[in-house]
Amino acid sequence: MQIFEYNGSAVVAMVGKNCFAIASDRRLGVQLQTIATDFQRISKIHDHLFIGLSGLATDVQTLYQRLVFRHKLYQLREERDMKPETFASLVSAILYEKRFGPYLCQPVIAGLGDDNKPFICTMDSIGAKELAKDFVVSGTASESLYGACEAMFKPDMEAEELFETISQALLSSVDRDCLSGWGGHVYVVTPDEIKEKILKGRMD
Amino acid sequence: MKLDTSGFETSVPTIGFGSSSDMLDELSSVPSFDLPHTKEFDGFQKKAVDMLKHAKGTTTLAFIFKGGVMVAADSRASMGGYISSQSVKKIIEINPYMLGTMAGGAADCQFWHRNLGIKCRLHELANKRRISVSGASKLLANMLYSYRGMGLSVGTMIAGWDETGPGLYYVDNEGGRLKGDRFSVGSGSPYAYGVLDSGYKYEMSVEEASELARRSIYHATFRDGASGGVASVYHVGPEGWTKLSGDDVGELHYHYYPVPPAIAEQVMEEATTE
Repeated sequence: MQIFEYNGSAVVAMVGKNCFAIASDRRLGVQLQTIATDFQRISKIHDHLFIGLSGLATDVQTLYQRLVFRHKLYQLREERDMKPETFASLVSAILYEKRFGPYLCQPVIAGLGDDNKPFICTMDSIGAKELAKDFVVSGTASESLYGACEAMFKPDMEAEELFETISQALLSSVDRDCLSGWGGHVYVVTPDEIKEKILKGRMD
Repeated sequence: MKLDTSGFETSVPTIGFGSSSDMLDELSSVPSFDLPHTKEFDGFQKKAVDMLKHAKGTTTLAFIFKGGVMVAADSRASMGGYISSQSVKKIIEINPYMLGTMAGGAADCQFWHRNLGIKCRLHELANKRRISVSGASKLLANMLYSYRGMGLSVGTMIAGWDETGPGLYYVDNEGGRLKGDRFSVGSGSPYAYGVLDSGYKYEMSVEEASELARRSIYHATFRDGASGGVASVYHVGPEGWTKLSGDDVGELHYHYYPVPPAIAEQVMEEATTE
């Protein structure tokens, strides 16, 4: 199997009305064998910025630790949180630094920018940014996710509806993928609060 | 489909006494083998097999106990990482008293089991009695042996009840045939063996055995990515086979491990002034 399919993953982010949602599956596997069903793929950078990383699990953890480090330095120097657009450029630069020996992961970045305008983007493993206005996906289940999101997405959804939509899209896509699933993890972020929910999915 | 009997042809002409028995002719001739027409004699077999490399992504199991034979399987078909179906029938009904399980290439298993069913029926018509499980599995093993090295992918168990009682054989695409009491085939088989071996007792009742089979399949679908869907359990008794259950493993998980209801947070209510 390919190296990107060694651990299995599914990450999706969607834009709503002054809010965003980011969701991932919870499986950690070694090819076909499932090792853990509570693997954390989405991490908080600050209250209005989340990053979800799909791909090789060891690079997911290492890259996350490097990004938290860079953001903390930024906070110390600038005395404020990083804007999502800036963070996306930072991630892109860090990934391209390793152009000839890359981190084998695909990040999905979601945040609330100025005026609480939601921002999402995804990248390939060497830092090519893809900004989108509606949804971004990555992982082994990405093709199913594209299909499900395309069908279910509507612009300007409120937080409740957005949560339902992203959960349905995630669960139905990972049910078609051997390497991801075993539950779901959803964050819905509005300017005032972060709602974190675990989804009950098929455990096969 | 004609059996490949080229392995028994010989350059020496046999002297026939007008005997009509094919068997005698084959036994008396000198066996010789056709050599393949290829430049790479050493590696061509492996290459042919790798061309159609289906990882046997499935979990099937069967075991003999006091009440007969219990056969169980999942129902997922996967193409690499993609799940192509969650509702594949992996337990094939060869005839009313014999079952075969499917692991490996779906087309291969379906075709060869149907072919075996035909051969079993022909045997019944020619000999006026049912074929034994041993005989049926031998027929299948010989058919598969003649296609050895051509990339067939079949890992099957033939389970049935004949005059000698319950019978269980494992047959694979290499032409191997093993008689046994407990088998599990597929990528999820290590996980199924773990549960099956620790819970197995010969004196189990039919209910206990079916629950053991269902649990084994469930645990295999949990750990193995290529197994899932519906856990089907069949029982083969003296009267033939019956399907006992077909449970969705997604629901079985929450049946075996229910999620405790979340404790509702206390809501601070404002004291009403009267």
